[in-house]
Amino acid sequence: MTGIERITSALVWAMAALAIVFLLTPLVVTVAVSFGSSAVFTLPPPGWSLRWYERVWTTRGLWASLMTSVQIAGLATAISLVLGTLCAIALVRGRFAGRDAIATFLVSPLMVPGLVVGIAMLQGFKLVGLREAWPSLLVAHVVITMPYVVRTVLASLSLFDFTLIDAARTLGCSYGQALRKVMAPALAPAFLTSGMFAFLASMDNYPVSIFFTDAWTKTLPLQMLQLVEERPDPTIAAVSTGLIVLAIVVLIIGDRLVGLRRLADF
Amino acid sequence: MTGLRLDRMIWLALPAVAYLVIVYALPLLWLLGRSVTGPDGFTLAQFTDFFADPFSWRVMGNTLRIAFWVTLVALVIGYPVAIAMARARGLMQVLLLVAMILPLSIGVVVKAFAWQIVLRRDGVISQGLVASGIWSEPQRLLFTEAGLILGATNVFLPFMILPIYSVVKLIDPRLTEAGATLGASPLYRFRKILLPLTLPGIVSGSAFVFSMSVSMFVIPSLLIGDRFQTLATLTGRSYLLMRNEALGSTTAVILLVIAVSIVVVSTWLSKRIGRSL
Amino acid sequence: MNSDQAFLEIRQASKSFGVAKVLDGVDLAVAKGEFVSLLGPSGCGKTTLLRIVAGLLSADRGHVMLDGADISARPPHHRDVGVVFQSYALFPHLTVAENVAFGLHAKGASTSSIQPTVAKFLDLVHMAAFADRSVKALSGGQQQRVAVARALAVGPKLLLLDEPFSALDRKLRETMQIELKRLLRELGTTAVFVTHDQDEALIMSDRIAVMNAGLIEQLDTPDAIYRRPATAFALEFVGLSTRLKGKVLAAEGDGGLVIETAFGIIRANGHYLPGSAVLVGVRPERMAFGVREGANTVHASVRDIVFQGSRIQAHVVSADDEPFLIETGGELPAGLAPGQHVPVSWAMSDTLVYPAGATP
Repeated sequence: MTGIERITSALVWAMAALAIVFLLTPLVVTVAVSFGSSAVFTLPPPGWSLRWYERVWTTRGLWASLMTSVQIAGLATAISLVLGTLCAIALVRGRFAGRDAIATFLVSPLMVPGLVVGIAMLQGFKLVGLREAWPSLLVAHVVITMPYVVRTVLASLSLFDFTLIDAARTLGCSYGQALRKVMAPALAPAFLTSGMFAFLASMDNYPVSIFFTDAWTKTLPLQMLQLVEERPDPTIAAVSTGLIVLAIVVLIIGDRLVGLRRLADF
Repeated sequence: MTGLRLDRMIWLALPAVAYLVIVYALPLLWLLGRSVTGPDGFTLAQFTDFFADPFSWRVMGNTLRIAFWVTLVALVIGYPVAIAMARARGLMQVLLLVAMILPLSIGVVVKAFAWQIVLRRDGVISQGLVASGIWSEPQRLLFTEAGLILGATNVFLPFMILPIYSVVKLIDPRLTEAGATLGASPLYRFRKILLPLTLPGIVSGSAFVFSMSVSMFVIPSLLIGDRFQTLATLTGRSYLLMRNEALGSTTAVILLVIAVSIVVVSTWLSKRIGRSL
Repeated sequence: MNSDQAFLEIRQASKSFGVAKVLDGVDLAVAKGEFVSLLGPSGCGKTTLLRIVAGLLSADRGHVMLDGADISARPPHHRDVGVVFQSYALFPHLTVAENVAFGLHAKGASTSSIQPTVAKFLDLVHMAAFADRSVKALSGGQQQRVAVARALAVGPKLLLLDEPFSALDRKLRETMQIELKRLLRELGTTAVFVTHDQDEALIMSDRIAVMNAGLIEQLDTPDAIYRRPATAFALEFVGLSTRLKGKVLAAEGDGGLVIETAFGIIRANGHYLPGSAVLVGVRPERMAFGVREGANTVHASVRDIVFQGSRIQAHVVSADDEPFLIETGGELPAGLAPGQHVPVSWAMSDTLVYPAGATP
């Protein structure tokens, strides 16, 4: 290696290290602040305390919004998994026209600004008379979660070798048994990882959810943002830390199932 | 496949497609339609009115300027990191992958809030820059464009790195070796081998980041405040605070047009690059 | 060959990857215009040695001298050493002509001189018609030819080839071998060729370096390596052979040996102490059926007869079931069939003897 190559190489690795620090900064800061004793977000904190975690229980609306978010995310993900997987099967095995266009269409909500989708749906729902917040949220969140399921399951199905099902059938399985014994295990990782990321996407969504809220129904991000604006204190950091822990768990499960490298496949 | 089998497959696809058409596509088309419909039929009056207002131009300028800078910074930082990631092994690779994916699994509210803390006058960046002598006194980066660009870059950086990374991964390492044995200097190899082959990733990543920067709402709300309006924050405020649905739907449609344009341009660019590859 | 004559000289090249010692002090001298093959099994270090010469890898110890200059410290783009890779490594985003022109552009040649050079080399490899095609549409053989043209177009002092024909089918491989040899001779280019295919090495090389476990076991002409392999490994790796374990019974003063084997007493030439364990080797085509005057003779029973087109192989075994391979281009004794007993003989001078400890 020449001198230039050595310097460039060193610079690149230095940038990679800096990037790691840069990307993890918000997480580290959040966790640090949540355990700090000060109500003002000074870092490093003057002391350590768990009181913000206690406050999570007592802060009005926080627990309720967490429940709302979890319910909506869970249901929306479940619906998306069912509809999305069926559709992915049809797209891979079917022979009808427009399969590429349909796939693009199903993934398109990722490319459209969430705010625009939210506004459009708000006006659309009002038009058909849907005014209650909770059902509106659910209907909207299926749209949010669907692309994650379709994209991942479709990619996984395209890689699946369907002759394996034929092989199973020649070895004595019925069609249904073959599907269960051969395809389901192969598909399970994609199913689970897409479900997990869809769930997280729904839990974290703001731009769509902001339009479907009322006094009793708020998703967690909305509640958190409201707290930030009204009464900022490290309680929010405590909630955030909980979400970070959840994300880490999801990541570990995802790594065990398919490996980190595959999760990074865009 | 028999005709019967063919029909059955379509039925499987129908629920998902029908759902999205009814809940997502139709409302979007309705929104679009209404924005060009006036009392006398087709009209672009909403848009001409919008662009007649100099405030609107400031908003557009803010939006595009911030998006441009975020994309540029993300590209400058992200490109070398993507290359490092493709070459990394062992612990470094794991760290990089985790640093990419973990923040993606966490909501934007958490990250924006954390950056609020970091950008304060007594925040870590300020402390660090004072300690290293670059700043003479602590300053706040909060409520500045620089702070907004920094925070947005932080949130969107994985979306620049991952597409480039996935393209770099596919490049045969023997290619740069071949270039070297043919007498090409390291810079020449970069310009003529690595750069052209990574171009699809650059286009893809830049399109993602630019699009997300244009439509980001939470990050500017928390990091720069109300006196600095972007298209997205204006849209949000129109609906939620000002109760001005007309303005809100106009800006929403403009956002949509920009988003669609980015997809169209980047797809066209990718095809052009793909043809010469 | 002494240092004065050598065009390429490798001195004591050593390389370890972690605890694995891949090259163990390798010396090699190649004359200008010569075609030398590095022949050996996978893992013997031949590709590592090649990459060190190319500058793609740095040796832990040792030097590489090319045309009188020590190039050991130079990066690959300053070495004037061309490489043809096993996977061809053609630039997918460039056309055939652009690939061939790459090195010329990189070195800053004038545009007016590049065009005719590219045309000339494309012509030499018979790929002129494909000049503006994308490389992705080419077959393996076509890609290989473009890779060769590309490496030669910049006029390197030395051309290195890393198993370039391993992915091609047999017929194509034979054609390419002849073409490449002719091309290199025409241009006078010195070449080092890595392969694990001994037929390929025997056909193409002026000299062969037989490599095993990081060392060159024998460096000689193909003929010499085939007829007089220096080690048991070379015997086994290059060409077919029959190998017998034996013990030296007596050593005569003039270099004659009497060796006891499972097939009886064998006579050979060599210098070993009585009582030494040795490995006796014979090339199958040096043997014949029947008894000959003054030759080594063994009695064996036929197990199998294999017809191979131009040759016939007979697999015979001794009384203790030790295998013996005979090859003849002629005809078999009438009525020879599996199960029969037959005498086999070969000249004493065709008997090769090696220390038994070096049995591969």
